[in-house]
Amino acid sequence: MRRAPMASPHAVTDAHLIARCVVGDDRHAFAELVKGHQSSVRACLRKLTAGNHALADDLAQETFVLAWRNLRSFRQEARFSTWLYRIATNCWLAHARKRREEPLADRDAALADDAHAAEDAHDAASTSDHAGATTLRIDMERALATLSEGERAAIVQCYHNDLSHEEAAYVLNCPVGTIKTHVLRGKQKLKLALAAWQPGPAAG
Amino acid sequence: MPHTEADLHDDSAADWTDRLLAADASAHRDAYVDDAGFTARIMSALPAPAALPRWRKPALTSLWASAGIGLAFALPGTVLDVTRGAFGLLAGRSFSLYEVAAVVAALGLATWTGTAVALRRA
Repeated sequence: MRRAPMASPHAVTDAHLIARCVVGDDRHAFAELVKGHQSSVRACLRKLTAGNHALADDLAQETFVLAWRNLRSFRQEARFSTWLYRIATNCWLAHARKRREEPLADRDAALADDAHAAEDAHDAASTSDHAGATTLRIDMERALATLSEGERAAIVQCYHNDLSHEEAAYVLNCPVGTIKTHVLRGKQKLKLALAAWQPGPAAG
Repeated sequence: MPHTEADLHDDSAADWTDRLLAADASAHRDAYVDDAGFTARIMSALPAPAALPRWRKPALTSLWASAGIGLAFALPGTVLDVTRGAFGLLAGRSFSLYEVAAVVAALGLATWTGTAVALRRA
Protein backbone atom coordinates (compact mmCIF):
# COMPACT_ATOMS: atom_id res chain seq x y z
CA MET A 1 0.00 0.00 0.00
CA ARG A 2 2.98 2.33 0.49
CA ARG A 3 4.87 1.61 -2.71
CA ALA A 4 7.03 4.51 -3.83
CA PRO A 5 7.08 5.41 -7.52
CA MET A 6 10.17 4.05 -9.24
CA ALA A 7 11.41 3.39 -12.73
CA SER A 8 10.61 -0.20 -13.70
CA PRO A 9 11.18 -1.93 -17.04
CA HIS A 10 7.42 -1.59 -17.57
CA ALA A 11 7.69 2.18 -17.01
CA VAL A 12 10.58 2.40 -19.47
CA THR A 13 8.50 0.56 -22.07
CA ASP A 14 5.57 2.86 -21.34
CA ALA A 15 7.79 5.94 -21.79
CA HIS A 16 9.05 4.58 -25.12
CA LEU A 17 5.52 3.82 -26.35
CA ILE A 18 4.24 7.22 -25.19
CA ALA A 19 7.08 8.93 -27.07
CA ARG A 20 6.11 7.04 -30.23
CA CYS A 21 2.48 8.13 -29.79
CA VAL A 22 3.35 11.78 -29.19
CA VAL A 23 6.06 12.19 -31.81
CA GLY A 24 4.79 9.96 -34.58
CA ASP A 25 1.04 9.78 -33.84
CA ASP A 26 1.68 6.01 -33.65
CA ARG A 27 -1.61 4.21 -32.99
CA HIS A 28 0.02 0.79 -32.80
CA ALA A 29 2.10 2.05 -29.87
CA PHE A 30 -1.07 3.28 -28.18
CA ALA A 31 -2.71 -0.10 -28.75
CA GLU A 32 0.24 -1.67 -26.89
CA LEU A 33 -0.30 0.78 -24.03
CA VAL A 34 -4.01 -0.09 -23.90
CA LYS A 35 -3.24 -3.82 -23.90
CA GLY A 36 -0.78 -3.33 -21.06
CA HIS A 37 -3.07 -1.30 -18.84
CA GLN A 38 -6.63 -2.30 -19.76
CA SER A 39 -6.88 -4.95 -17.06
CA SER A 40 -5.90 -2.69 -14.16
CA VAL A 41 -8.02 0.23 -15.36
CA ARG A 42 -11.11 -1.91 -15.96
CA ALA A 43 -10.66 -3.72 -12.65
CA CYS A 44 -10.33 -0.38 -10.84
CA LEU A 45 -13.50 0.92 -12.48
CA ARG A 46 -15.34 -2.31 -11.69
CA LYS A 47 -14.54 -1.71 -8.03
CA LEU A 48 -15.60 1.93 -8.22
CA THR A 49 -18.87 1.07 -9.97
CA ALA A 50 -19.64 -1.65 -7.41
CA GLY A 51 -19.29 -4.48 -9.93
CA ASN A 52 -21.19 -2.96 -12.85
CA HIS A 53 -18.99 -4.38 -15.62
CA ALA A 54 -20.79 -2.76 -18.57
CA LEU A 55 -20.58 0.70 -17.02
CA ALA A 56 -16.98 0.09 -15.98
CA ASP A 57 -16.03 -0.83 -19.57
CA ASP A 58 -17.80 2.24 -20.96
CA LEU A 59 -15.90 4.43 -18.50
CA ALA A 60 -12.66 2.59 -19.32
CA GLN A 61 -13.21 3.34 -23.00
CA GLU A 62 -13.78 7.01 -22.16
CA THR A 63 -10.60 6.92 -20.05
CA PHE A 64 -8.39 5.61 -22.85
CA VAL A 65 -9.84 7.97 -25.46
CA LEU A 66 -9.17 10.90 -23.11
CA ALA A 67 -5.67 9.54 -22.45
CA TRP A 68 -5.00 9.47 -26.20
CA ARG A 69 -6.24 13.04 -26.60
CA ASN A 70 -4.19 14.33 -23.66
CA LEU A 71 -1.07 12.22 -24.03
CA ARG A 72 1.00 15.31 -24.87
CA SER A 73 0.15 16.80 -21.48
CA PHE A 74 1.44 13.71 -19.61
CA ARG A 75 4.69 14.97 -18.07
CA GLN A 76 5.89 11.77 -16.38
CA GLU A 77 5.34 13.39 -12.95
CA ALA A 78 3.58 10.16 -11.98
CA ARG A 79 3.59 6.63 -13.35
CA PHE A 80 1.52 6.21 -16.50
CA SER A 81 -0.77 3.79 -14.66
CA THR A 82 -1.35 6.38 -11.91
CA TRP A 83 -2.16 8.98 -14.54
CA LEU A 84 -4.66 6.55 -16.10
CA TYR A 85 -6.23 5.94 -12.66
CA ARG A 86 -6.62 9.69 -12.31
CA ILE A 87 -8.46 9.99 -15.63
CA ALA A 88 -10.57 6.90 -14.84
CA THR A 89 -11.53 8.22 -11.42
CA ASN A 90 -12.45 11.59 -12.91
CA CYS A 91 -14.63 9.85 -15.52
CA TRP A 92 -16.35 7.84 -12.78
CA LEU A 93 -16.87 10.94 -10.60
CA ALA A 94 -18.31 12.85 -13.58
CA HIS A 95 -20.66 9.94 -14.27
CA ALA A 96 -21.70 9.80 -10.60
CA ARG A 97 -22.38 13.55 -10.58
CA LYS A 98 -24.42 13.26 -13.77
CA ARG A 99 -26.41 10.39 -12.28
CA ARG A 100 -27.23 12.52 -9.22
CA GLU A 101 -28.63 15.19 -11.52
CA GLU A 102 -30.81 12.71 -13.46
CA PRO A 103 -34.57 12.69 -12.92
CA LEU A 104 -35.60 10.21 -10.20
CA ALA A 105 -37.24 7.72 -12.61
CA ASP A 106 -34.08 7.40 -14.72
CA ARG A 107 -31.95 7.05 -11.62
CA ASP A 108 -34.17 4.29 -10.25
CA ALA A 109 -33.89 2.42 -13.55
CA ALA A 110 -30.11 2.77 -13.46
CA LEU A 111 -29.98 1.59 -9.86
CA ALA A 112 -32.14 -1.39 -10.80
CA ASP A 113 -29.67 -2.23 -13.59
CA ASP A 114 -26.84 -2.07 -11.07
CA ALA A 115 -28.74 -4.34 -8.70
CA HIS A 116 -29.37 -6.86 -11.50
CA ALA A 117 -25.69 -6.77 -12.42
CA ALA A 118 -24.73 -7.43 -8.80
CA GLU A 119 -27.28 -10.26 -8.53
CA ASP A 120 -25.99 -11.83 -11.74
CA ALA A 121 -22.48 -11.69 -10.32
CA HIS A 122 -23.71 -13.21 -7.08
CA ASP A 123 -25.42 -16.07 -8.97
CA ALA A 124 -22.22 -16.66 -10.92
CA ALA A 125 -20.28 -16.72 -7.67
CA SER A 126 -22.43 -19.45 -6.16
CA THR A 127 -21.46 -21.81 -8.99
CA SER A 128 -17.81 -20.89 -8.99
CA ASP A 129 -14.92 -22.92 -7.55
CA HIS A 130 -13.68 -19.84 -5.77
CA ALA A 131 -17.01 -19.15 -4.11
CA GLY A 132 -15.46 -17.95 -0.83
CA ALA A 133 -13.21 -15.35 -2.43
CA THR A 134 -15.96 -14.28 -4.82
CA THR A 135 -18.44 -13.91 -1.98
CA LEU A 136 -15.97 -11.60 -0.23
CA ARG A 137 -15.55 -9.66 -3.49
CA ILE A 138 -19.29 -9.20 -3.91
CA ASP A 139 -19.86 -8.34 -0.26
CA MET A 140 -17.00 -5.87 -0.48
CA GLU A 141 -18.45 -4.31 -3.63
CA ARG A 142 -21.81 -3.91 -1.91
CA ALA A 143 -20.12 -2.48 1.16
CA LEU A 144 -18.07 -0.08 -0.97
CA ALA A 145 -21.30 1.07 -2.59
CA THR A 146 -22.46 2.39 0.80
CA LEU A 147 -19.48 4.78 1.02
CA SER A 148 -19.38 8.33 -0.30
CA GLU A 149 -17.63 8.75 -3.65
CA GLY A 150 -14.53 10.25 -2.05
CA GLU A 151 -14.27 7.50 0.55
CA ARG A 152 -14.80 4.76 -2.01
CA ALA A 153 -12.23 6.23 -4.39
CA ALA A 154 -9.67 6.67 -1.60
CA ILE A 155 -10.10 3.07 -0.37
CA VAL A 156 -9.88 1.63 -3.90
CA GLN A 157 -6.77 3.66 -4.77
CA CYS A 158 -4.94 2.94 -1.51
CA TYR A 159 -5.84 -0.73 -1.09
CA HIS A 160 -6.88 -2.22 -4.42
CA ASN A 161 -4.59 -0.16 -6.66
CA ASP A 162 -1.79 -0.30 -4.08
CA LEU A 163 -1.05 3.43 -4.26
CA SER A 164 0.58 5.48 -1.52
CA HIS A 165 -1.44 8.26 0.11
CA GLU A 166 0.54 10.76 -1.97
CA GLU A 167 -0.25 8.96 -5.21
CA ALA A 168 -3.91 8.64 -4.22
CA ALA A 169 -3.94 12.38 -3.52
CA TYR A 170 -2.60 12.93 -7.06
CA VAL A 171 -5.27 10.63 -8.50
CA LEU A 172 -8.10 12.33 -6.61
CA ASN A 173 -6.56 15.80 -6.93
CA CYS A 174 -6.89 16.56 -3.23
CA PRO A 175 -4.59 17.00 -0.21
CA VAL A 176 -3.00 13.95 1.42
CA GLY A 177 -4.85 14.76 4.66
CA THR A 178 -8.19 14.43 2.85
CA ILE A 179 -7.16 10.97 1.59
CA LYS A 180 -6.28 9.85 5.11
CA THR A 181 -9.64 11.12 6.40
CA HIS A 182 -11.54 9.41 3.58
CA VAL A 183 -9.74 6.11 4.23
CA LEU A 184 -10.39 6.28 7.97
CA ARG A 185 -14.09 7.13 7.59
CA GLY A 186 -14.48 4.61 4.79
CA LYS A 187 -13.05 1.84 6.95
CA GLN A 188 -15.39 2.75 9.79
CA LYS A 189 -18.37 2.46 7.44
CA LEU A 190 -17.04 -0.80 5.96
CA LYS A 191 -16.79 -2.23 9.47
CA LEU A 192 -20.54 -1.74 9.85
CA ALA A 193 -21.44 -2.91 6.34
CA LEU A 194 -19.28 -6.04 6.64
CA ALA A 195 -20.34 -6.92 10.19
CA ALA A 196 -21.16 -10.47 9.09
CA TRP A 197 -17.46 -11.04 8.40
CA GLN A 198 -16.41 -9.99 11.88
CA PRO A 199 -14.56 -12.83 13.63
CA GLY A 200 -16.35 -14.30 16.61
CA PRO A 201 -14.77 -14.41 20.07
CA ALA A 202 -11.75 -16.72 20.23
CA ALA A 203 -12.51 -20.14 21.66
CA GLY A 204 -10.64 -20.62 24.97
CA MET B 1 -1.73 -12.28 4.05
CA PRO B 2 -5.05 -14.14 4.44
CA HIS B 3 -6.79 -15.19 1.25
CA THR B 4 -9.71 -17.29 2.42
CA GLU B 5 -12.64 -16.71 4.68
CA ALA B 6 -11.31 -19.26 7.18
CA ASP B 7 -7.93 -17.52 7.37
CA LEU B 8 -9.64 -14.23 7.92
CA HIS B 9 -11.58 -15.53 10.89
CA ASP B 10 -8.56 -17.19 12.46
CA ASP B 11 -6.71 -14.13 13.62
CA SER B 12 -9.23 -11.99 15.42
CA ALA B 13 -6.56 -9.92 17.17
CA ALA B 14 -5.73 -7.93 14.01
CA ASP B 15 -8.06 -5.31 12.62
CA TRP B 16 -10.39 -7.56 10.70
CA THR B 17 -11.58 -4.79 8.36
CA ASP B 18 -7.99 -4.17 7.31
CA ARG B 19 -7.49 -7.89 6.78
CA LEU B 20 -10.67 -8.16 4.71
CA LEU B 21 -9.61 -5.19 2.60
CA ALA B 22 -6.13 -6.64 2.16
CA ALA B 23 -7.57 -10.01 1.10
CA ASP B 24 -9.98 -8.41 -1.35
CA ALA B 25 -7.26 -6.12 -2.70
CA SER B 26 -4.88 -9.06 -3.14
CA ALA B 27 -7.51 -11.01 -5.10
CA HIS B 28 -8.27 -7.84 -7.08
CA ARG B 29 -4.63 -7.41 -8.12
CA ASP B 30 -4.17 -11.09 -8.95
CA ALA B 31 -7.24 -11.23 -11.21
CA TYR B 32 -6.53 -10.41 -14.85
CA VAL B 33 -9.37 -8.91 -16.87
CA ASP B 34 -9.21 -10.56 -20.28
CA ASP B 35 -8.94 -8.12 -23.17
CA ALA B 36 -11.73 -9.85 -25.19
CA GLY B 37 -11.76 -7.22 -27.94
CA PHE B 38 -11.52 -4.26 -25.59
CA THR B 39 -8.35 -2.85 -27.20
CA ALA B 40 -9.93 -3.13 -30.66
CA ARG B 41 -12.98 -1.27 -29.34
CA ILE B 42 -10.76 1.52 -28.01
CA MET B 43 -8.80 1.81 -31.24
CA SER B 44 -11.99 2.14 -33.26
CA ALA B 45 -13.26 4.81 -30.85
CA LEU B 46 -10.17 7.01 -31.20
CA PRO B 47 -10.67 10.25 -33.13
CA ALA B 48 -9.68 10.14 -36.79
CA PRO B 49 -6.11 11.24 -37.58
CA ALA B 50 -5.66 14.94 -38.28
CA ALA B 51 -6.72 15.80 -41.83
CA LEU B 52 -3.75 18.12 -42.40
CA PRO B 53 -0.95 16.45 -44.39
CA ARG B 54 2.50 15.94 -42.86
CA TRP B 55 4.17 18.20 -45.44
CA ARG B 56 2.09 21.22 -44.35
CA LYS B 57 4.54 22.55 -41.74
CA PRO B 58 7.74 22.35 -43.83
CA ALA B 59 5.88 23.80 -46.81
CA LEU B 60 4.67 26.79 -44.75
CA THR B 61 8.15 27.32 -43.29
CA SER B 62 9.77 27.38 -46.71
CA LEU B 63 7.08 29.77 -47.98
CA TRP B 64 7.74 32.22 -45.14
CA ALA B 65 11.50 31.90 -45.69
CA SER B 66 11.09 32.64 -49.41
CA ALA B 67 8.94 35.65 -48.60
CA GLY B 68 11.56 36.95 -46.15
CA ILE B 69 14.39 36.54 -48.65
CA GLY B 70 12.30 38.17 -51.38
CA LEU B 71 11.58 41.15 -49.13
CA ALA B 72 15.26 41.51 -48.22
CA PHE B 73 16.18 41.64 -51.94
CA ALA B 74 13.30 43.97 -52.83
CA LEU B 75 14.10 46.51 -50.12
CA PRO B 76 17.89 46.52 -49.76
CA GLY B 77 19.20 48.41 -46.75
CA THR B 78 15.72 49.05 -45.30
CA VAL B 79 16.38 47.21 -42.03
CA LEU B 80 19.67 49.04 -41.56
CA ASP B 81 18.02 52.41 -42.28
CA VAL B 82 15.21 51.76 -39.82
CA THR B 83 17.68 50.70 -37.12
CA ARG B 84 19.83 53.78 -37.67
CA GLY B 85 16.75 56.04 -37.55
CA ALA B 86 15.49 54.51 -34.30
CA PHE B 87 18.92 54.80 -32.67
CA GLY B 88 19.19 58.42 -33.81
CA LEU B 89 15.80 59.23 -32.30
CA LEU B 90 16.67 57.63 -28.99
CA ALA B 91 20.17 59.10 -28.78
CA GLY B 92 19.01 62.57 -29.78
CA ARG B 93 16.68 63.19 -26.84
CA SER B 94 17.16 63.15 -23.09
CA PHE B 95 14.95 61.00 -20.85
CA SER B 96 13.47 62.10 -17.53
CA LEU B 97 13.79 59.95 -14.43
CA TYR B 98 10.05 59.13 -14.64
CA GLU B 99 10.38 57.83 -18.19
CA VAL B 100 13.33 55.64 -17.24
CA ALA B 101 11.40 54.38 -14.21
CA ALA B 102 8.35 53.65 -16.37
CA VAL B 103 10.45 51.67 -18.86
CA VAL B 104 12.12 49.71 -16.04
CA ALA B 105 8.71 49.01 -14.43
CA ALA B 106 7.26 47.88 -17.78
CA LEU B 107 10.23 45.59 -18.40
CA GLY B 108 9.94 44.18 -14.85
CA LEU B 109 6.22 43.58 -15.29
CA ALA B 110 6.77 41.85 -18.63
CA THR B 111 9.50 39.66 -17.12
CA TRP B 112 7.34 38.77 -14.09
CA THR B 113 4.34 37.95 -16.29
CA GLY B 114 6.47 35.83 -18.60
CA THR B 115 7.98 33.93 -15.66
CA ALA B 116 4.55 33.39 -14.06
CA VAL B 117 3.10 32.04 -17.31
CA ALA B 118 6.12 29.77 -17.86
CA LEU B 119 5.93 28.42 -14.29
CA ARG B 120 2.18 27.83 -14.58
CA ARG B 121 2.65 25.89 -17.81
CA ALA B 122 5.47 23.87 -16.24
